[in-house]
Amino acid sequence: MTQATTPSAFQAVKGTYKGVVKISLMLTATYLIAQALSSILPAADYRSLFGFSNRTAVWIVAELHLMFAAFVLGVPIFAFITEIVGVATKERRYDDLAREFTKLLAMAYTLTAVLGCVLLVLFIVLYPKLTGYLSGLFKPTWLLYIVLIFGEVIVAYLYWYTWDLLQGARKKWHLLLGLLVNLWGTALLFVADIWVTFMMSPAGIDDANNLVSLWDAINNHTWMPINIHRLLANVAFGGAIVAAYAAVRFLNAKSDEEKARFDWMGYVGSFIAIAAFIPLPFAGYWLGREIYQFSEQMGVSMMGGSFAWLWILQAMLIGGLFLASNFYLWLGMGRIPGGERYNKFQIGMMIVLTVGFIVWATPRSIIASGAEMAAMGGSHHPFLGLFGVMAAKNTAVNLMILTTFFSFMLYRRGNRIPTVSWATTGKIVQALAIAAAAAVVVGYGIYSYFVPSITRIGFSVYQVSAVLAAMAVFVAIDIPLLKGAKEIGAIRWGQIPARAQYALFFLAVSFTWLMGLMGYIRSGIRQYWHVYGRIMDESANAYTMTHGHATIIVSVIVVIFFLLVSAVFAMATRYDSPPNPRPVGGGDGSSAADAASMSLAAASLGRPGGSGGAQVEAKG
Amino acid sequence: MSDMSKTFLKVFAFVVATVSLYAYVGQLVPQFEEHPPQKKVITPETPQEELVAAGQELLRGKGGCLVCHKDQESGNERGPDLRQTAGKAATRKPGMAAEAYLIEALVEPDVHLVEGYPKMMPPSMKPPANFSMAEVKAVVAYLQSLGGAEVTVKVEAADVATGKQAAGPVHRGKALMAEQGCIGCHKVEGEGGEVGPDLTKVVERFEPMKIAQKIADPKLWTTEGYQAGLMPPRPDMPEGDRQEIAAYLAGLAGKKYSPTGAASPWSHEGVRLGVVIAVFNVAMLLVLGWARAREKKEVA
Repeated sequence: MTQATTPSAFQAVKGTYKGVVKISLMLTATYLIAQALSSILPAADYRSLFGFSNRTAVWIVAELHLMFAAFVLGVPIFAFITEIVGVATKERRYDDLAREFTKLLAMAYTLTAVLGCVLLVLFIVLYPKLTGYLSGLFKPTWLLYIVLIFGEVIVAYLYWYTWDLLQGARKKWHLLLGLLVNLWGTALLFVADIWVTFMMSPAGIDDANNLVSLWDAINNHTWMPINIHRLLANVAFGGAIVAAYAAVRFLNAKSDEEKARFDWMGYVGSFIAIAAFIPLPFAGYWLGREIYQFSEQMGVSMMGGSFAWLWILQAMLIGGLFLASNFYLWLGMGRIPGGERYNKFQIGMMIVLTVGFIVWATPRSIIASGAEMAAMGGSHHPFLGLFGVMAAKNTAVNLMILTTFFSFMLYRRGNRIPTVSWATTGKIVQALAIAAAAAVVVGYGIYSYFVPSITRIGFSVYQVSAVLAAMAVFVAIDIPLLKGAKEIGAIRWGQIPARAQYALFFLAVSFTWLMGLMGYIRSGIRQYWHVYGRIMDESANAYTMTHGHATIIVSVIVVIFFLLVSAVFAMATRYDSPPNPRPVGGGDGSSAADAASMSLAAASLGRPGGSGGAQVEAKG
Repeated sequence: MSDMSKTFLKVFAFVVATVSLYAYVGQLVPQFEEHPPQKKVITPETPQEELVAAGQELLRGKGGCLVCHKDQESGNERGPDLRQTAGKAATRKPGMAAEAYLIEALVEPDVHLVEGYPKMMPPSMKPPANFSMAEVKAVVAYLQSLGGAEVTVKVEAADVATGKQAAGPVHRGKALMAEQGCIGCHKVEGEGGEVGPDLTKVVERFEPMKIAQKIADPKLWTTEGYQAGLMPPRPDMPEGDRQEIAAYLAGLAGKKYSPTGAASPWSHEGVRLGVVIAVFNVAMLLVLGWARAREKKEVA
């Protein structure tokens, strides 16, 4: 999908129609292939794929589809926000950045659709009976899904093809398209989540599994928590992948201008990834709580049963993500004049992150020999075992979130000195807000040891609320505090070590692997049920595999994903061309009030007052 | 090799190294496979030792009880220690015998909570455990044996029936017979018309595959005492749906028949899918035509 230099309305519609034809052909082919195979193959409830495990085949394709879907649903969210920031601040670089983000989507859409079609064929052919049941149950949602797919293709392609056409006074129409892309995408996600969450926490069916209420089946216990969890995760994942793309481009950059451009893009991508990642554990708590409310047994299996060890792996991944993101920020401070003032905080933050990481990754039960267990008095270490429970882990992760947030805020303040009269008071209140949140988190963490698990899981809400409140207070003070702040100097975009780009790759790989792992846990806790407690898996693959086996499959999926995404990057780079000079913004967001409301986002994305961008512009 | 290729190789090596590290850590945690619980038939004739052993297996497997309880020194303590339950059962509720209390505690755990423990145990005769009463009694037998008490529980014939349906991919035959109007003329499970023969046990006389064929072509045979030519042929009904009905009727006759479900219900969806595709394509073509005309006008 290439874009003409000066596209007309006809060219834009023509490009969009190509997308519609593409999806029409894919859906038709999918239907015909599924029908043909179903008719030819011998009758069975389950089939294998040429001797290959049906479960593994569906797993790999489903996860790849999900990853690309996450990318194509996540990227438009922040492309749209970046475009709005561009209109509000009247800075062209935001529009160019949003365009660069959107460019990555084109190939990814096609790959997502192809993988989705393959997945559907696999479901119908390998799990005919179950697919038949679910399709019958959710028939209206399938139709809606197909309508939404067409809608999404049309608005997404129009969004891309009309980028240059709808500039200036017509920019508002382009923003409307951006909004529609996101509304359609979110609706697609919500519909797809219906099927998967019903399998986890079925509702709306009678004892014989017949449908009683379609709405109850849709609005089951885990539907909305997973919707929100995935929505946030998609943004975080999309940001991480975009940052990785920028990192590749940075490493291949031939000029200072290119380096500056992709350094900034990498920063924005990682900012989006971390900003969406910070509230993700909170959405995770909500999901966990709903799982417990649906089935205490399922919840306990997930957190304290056979899957408990995978949370140690998750802790390692998230701990790594926190460390890498802070490492990237601290390296980034090197390109901010005045950033060195905050170096003194790095050691303290490093200690909190490392201790938090260690606590979070401490297992409750320790692998030990008989003699060692006898010496410990059981499988739980008398002292370290205290750090293996959720009470300690929740405390650790909340403190790590608070620390990372603080890191971001220092980065944001890097080259600015507040000039308002109440600056000292403001800073003291900000410090108190952080300290109060830390006290609440630690306090409830300790109290958690003395209450049952069902009460304990509720405490996480108070801990999370304290952290969120502290963040809100901090930001609410920070915006007016830095208004009219004295600037020490402009950010030297492009002047960041290459190892910072590897931190971005690490973020992308870890996010992807984490998605694969969490997807396995979510699906795996159904154990030998297709639909938990209702429809049993009677295939040869109904067992829960070893963690080692599962992690190898997750790893294979991640490697395949990165190979495919490399192809997307290569295509995007192939069609790369310098942005066309064009005006940005139609005046809709140009008022002082609008500009003020965008100031935090703009400052966070571009960093102080757009001075870094000015440098890019100047070099361009 | 170009700079771009070198960068790609370096980055790819970094990706593989990071992924390998995670996969390696995955090998370091304890490794075990969990298999679905074995199906075990418990009858009134099952000897007491076997009943106790079956109870232990149910408690550890299908029931998932050890997720919260423990039946030996080490284990979970979210629920009471099961080694003491039988011994204390007689004292829990005044006037209630130990055996009756244990059964109630399994079937309706929220009726009487042991002090100090939260309301969190799922009823054992509901999903996911989905025990039959015979299985509940087997668990009670195991609990009694754990406490060293005499195993008093007895399985009755009525206890053997399984609880709710919760196995295997679902057959939609019953729903389809209602949807397609079959029960307007045929009686099934005591309900329906009498124009055609009662189909509840029809599979005792005909193979399920033949039933599926008969739906498409009623001329294949006519049951004695019923008028030929009344039943409408339904070759339009998807093969999978006909097989579903045959599978349902086979189940009523105590036979297992598990066809694929073939194209169903996707064969219904072809037309709808075609309509959606056509609508969007026509709409886009109209917009394309409008845009072309507008462009020509502007050029002119």
